[in-house]
Amino acid sequence: MAPVPPPGRRLGPSPLRRTWLLLPLLAGIELVGLATVRARVPAEADWRGAAERVREAWRPGDAVVVAPSWAGPLLRHHLGDLLTPSDVGRSDLAGVERLWALSIRGHRPEEAPPSSPAVNQAFGRVRVLRWDLPVERVVYDFLAHVEDARVTLERGGEERDCPWRAHRSARGGGLGAGALVPGARFDCGRPALWVGLTTQETLDLEPRRCIHQRPADPGALRVTFPDVPLGGRLVLYGGLYSEDERDLEGAPTTTVVRVDGREIGRLVRHDGDGWARMEAITPGGRADVTVEVSSPNVARRSFCWAATTRPAEAR
Amino acid sequence: MIPRLRPGDHFVGALLAGGYVLLLLVASHDVAMSRDEGFYVDAANSYAGWLRLVGAPFRCDAGACRIACTEGEACRTGAPCVDGRCAAPVAMSCTTASECGVHRRELVDRFWAPNHEHPSLPKTMFALFHLADERYELFSAPSVGYRFFGMLTGGLLLWLIYVFGAQTYGRSAGLFASLAFALMPRIFYHSQLDAFDVPIALMTTLVTYAYCRAIGDWRWLPILGLCYGLALATKHNAWILPLIFLIHMAFVAATERRHRRFGGAPRVALTPYWLLAMLLIGPIVFVALWPWLWHDTLQRFGEYAGFHFGHTHYNMAYFGVNYFRAPVPMSYPWVMTVLTVSAVTLVLALIGIGARARALLPFGLEERWWPNGSVRPDPRRTDVLFLGCLLPPLVVISMPWTPIFGGTKHWFPAYPFLALFAGAGFVAVLRHALPARRGLPTAVRGWAATVGLGALFLAPAAAETAHSHPFGLSHYTYAAGGVPGAADLGMNRQFWGFTTGSLADWLNRKLPDGGTVWICDMTPRAWAMMQADGRLSRRIRSTASLVSAALALVHHEDHFAEVDFQIWEAFGTVRPVEVLTYDGVPIISVYENPRRRQR
Repeated sequence: MAPVPPPGRRLGPSPLRRTWLLLPLLAGIELVGLATVRARVPAEADWRGAAERVREAWRPGDAVVVAPSWAGPLLRHHLGDLLTPSDVGRSDLAGVERLWALSIRGHRPEEAPPSSPAVNQAFGRVRVLRWDLPVERVVYDFLAHVEDARVTLERGGEERDCPWRAHRSARGGGLGAGALVPGARFDCGRPALWVGLTTQETLDLEPRRCIHQRPADPGALRVTFPDVPLGGRLVLYGGLYSEDERDLEGAPTTTVVRVDGREIGRLVRHDGDGWARMEAITPGGRADVTVEVSSPNVARRSFCWAATTRPAEAR
Repeated sequence: MIPRLRPGDHFVGALLAGGYVLLLLVASHDVAMSRDEGFYVDAANSYAGWLRLVGAPFRCDAGACRIACTEGEACRTGAPCVDGRCAAPVAMSCTTASECGVHRRELVDRFWAPNHEHPSLPKTMFALFHLADERYELFSAPSVGYRFFGMLTGGLLLWLIYVFGAQTYGRSAGLFASLAFALMPRIFYHSQLDAFDVPIALMTTLVTYAYCRAIGDWRWLPILGLCYGLALATKHNAWILPLIFLIHMAFVAATERRHRRFGGAPRVALTPYWLLAMLLIGPIVFVALWPWLWHDTLQRFGEYAGFHFGHTHYNMAYFGVNYFRAPVPMSYPWVMTVLTVSAVTLVLALIGIGARARALLPFGLEERWWPNGSVRPDPRRTDVLFLGCLLPPLVVISMPWTPIFGGTKHWFPAYPFLALFAGAGFVAVLRHALPARRGLPTAVRGWAATVGLGALFLAPAAAETAHSHPFGLSHYTYAAGGVPGAADLGMNRQFWGFTTGSLADWLNRKLPDGGTVWICDMTPRAWAMMQADGRLSRRIRSTASLVSAALALVHHEDHFAEVDFQIWEAFGTVRPVEVLTYDGVPIISVYENPRRRQR
């Protein structure tokens, strides 16, 4: 075996001869670095102070996010009483007038506009930022009116209503279970065939507040919202539960939007598209809006959508 | 020749082992049982049921096997003793008493079928220590009884690393290697568990040591065979060892042939007796230790092997992508090693490999490519063997067809050799850190430098490991920017739900009158063990119903994101009442069911 030479013995030219001193330096860097990482962790009081700042100035039309996004549970712990699943699972910033952000570690929220924030205030290691946004007005949010809808299942030329059940038990929960089946929902006779408001994990593992509406087979499942104020544009997002989409093996889904029976737009999405967006031009005034989802193979097509009508001119 | 160890070396090894086991015993109190540990506790309990029957006085009574007992005493089966007979755990027909016994298929299948996707040895040892704890009250908590074998293997591995390193690169190298291994944060965490990952790291290192001895000394051949059997009975990582040794043997053979051509006396055996020992003795030991294989051996071995060849993929987050099917990037095990082992240890290992590089070259090339080097390979080509054992566990995990197993634990068998090269690197640095100066005697300066530099080089690893406790799997070193840095990078934050233990006190305070908790990634068994250990009130029950639970936990791991969203719907709130953090990074969120608050 290789004997260890006595101390002081030189073994010819070696890169170690002069550079070994870098090792104690590396040890020092690692030790100091570790201490620095710990010292930079925001204290609970920092989060509380920042949250209080937001809470004091909070008003309708505000939204709040956190950067980096992995700190989401801390944001919701401190400001969750101001937020609903619809706020956290929003599809875009339509309707938001002011965007607040709690930022740590120098992160800037993805949703922030490129401009400088109107508010930039530090609370220890948590920074409160606020941007005043050019508002894209929402005329009608379908999510807020799901109870007003009429849900029908057409099968063999016969159309029947799926009744609204307001006080059933919520079902589901757990890894791989997909979106929770809410207690209030339209039931269409089979356990998987229901329509209702839920929060679904989409391909990017983000929460999306949406109306769950699987394609039916056989038959056609339609959701009709009566007397909807239209405004000029309809923006619809849709996607599947992440585990139903991530294998890229499912059939495409087609979502057709009709205004008073006339098709105004369709979203054809394939696995891998994630939370996809469709925009359609609508007439003005008010009308019935029907959403129908179909697929050549309905297996694992846990489609869920969110839509709003907005003024024709996006600002 | 390998230098003969002195008794003092084993004293040092024993000291390392004993000290580490004591440390683990103290530390494990803070670490709740993890998901997989719960499965192994169930398996160990089942095996313990069989072990209780070993040596029991079976007799054939009216065509059925019975166990004799003494009136007024409890039966080994747990059944009451009636008319001097215990009810057997399963019905077994017989004509004579000799047909009755624990070897009977009915009994073997009853007790050994659970968790047969993994071999028996670790779980048998968990069961034996558990039984010993039951009888002699050895440990401070029931979970320690199951976990002690894992801790013991962690300690013994330090001893073995010291011995292997001392014999190969000198005592300073062996000691440094042993401590560097002990102070890898994830090794420290896994050494506390009733799981297979540290035991198999011990076994593969032990087999490697025995092989290294056996190629030069036939007396080690049966020991090698026995060790290989123990390794096979620990985990399937052992399957690859003969292949590694065959490649290594090619280096040894080339060196030995040249040595003999120049008239040298034989130093190592060129006939692969070692392989015969491994292949003949190993499987016998493997089957002998696993009663489940005593019946339908080939078919059942096929079932066991098939499980691992067709292993399901686990989810693993890596640089912001949640991988759920192969392939993960080939860089995965290498980068994870960099981000979870102290940088100084890794750099020293690279220095060690560099310092021993000449001895790693195939025979003949070192003279051609590196004629003036002073490092010479030993007859056993130990450097090549170390590198051969270091690389394959990482390479196997890197392969695109390898199932996603997840954690760093799957390449733990590489780490003893990483540590040994770090020891070699430490010694190489020492040589250059000790210029000859007048004044103090050489020996004094040598000791001072060895202790001083050793302590300095191990200090970051010690600090990282101390800080990693009890969040071992969530810990990342400074190379990742620590835990928050790893979260920024989008790395996996935990698995197995073990972090629930850090919430036990909070849960006891929150639910003083008891209640139900939906426990996310934890298993009911792991939960029950926290209660058995006295850490959690028995009135706080786990429930499978998320919707009706009083509290619901979310272990923050990418693929559990959906659970967060389900809870928002079930409870009608997005606000967790408690967020367990580690260095500011959320580890567990706890939600409270508003219906409970109303009550």
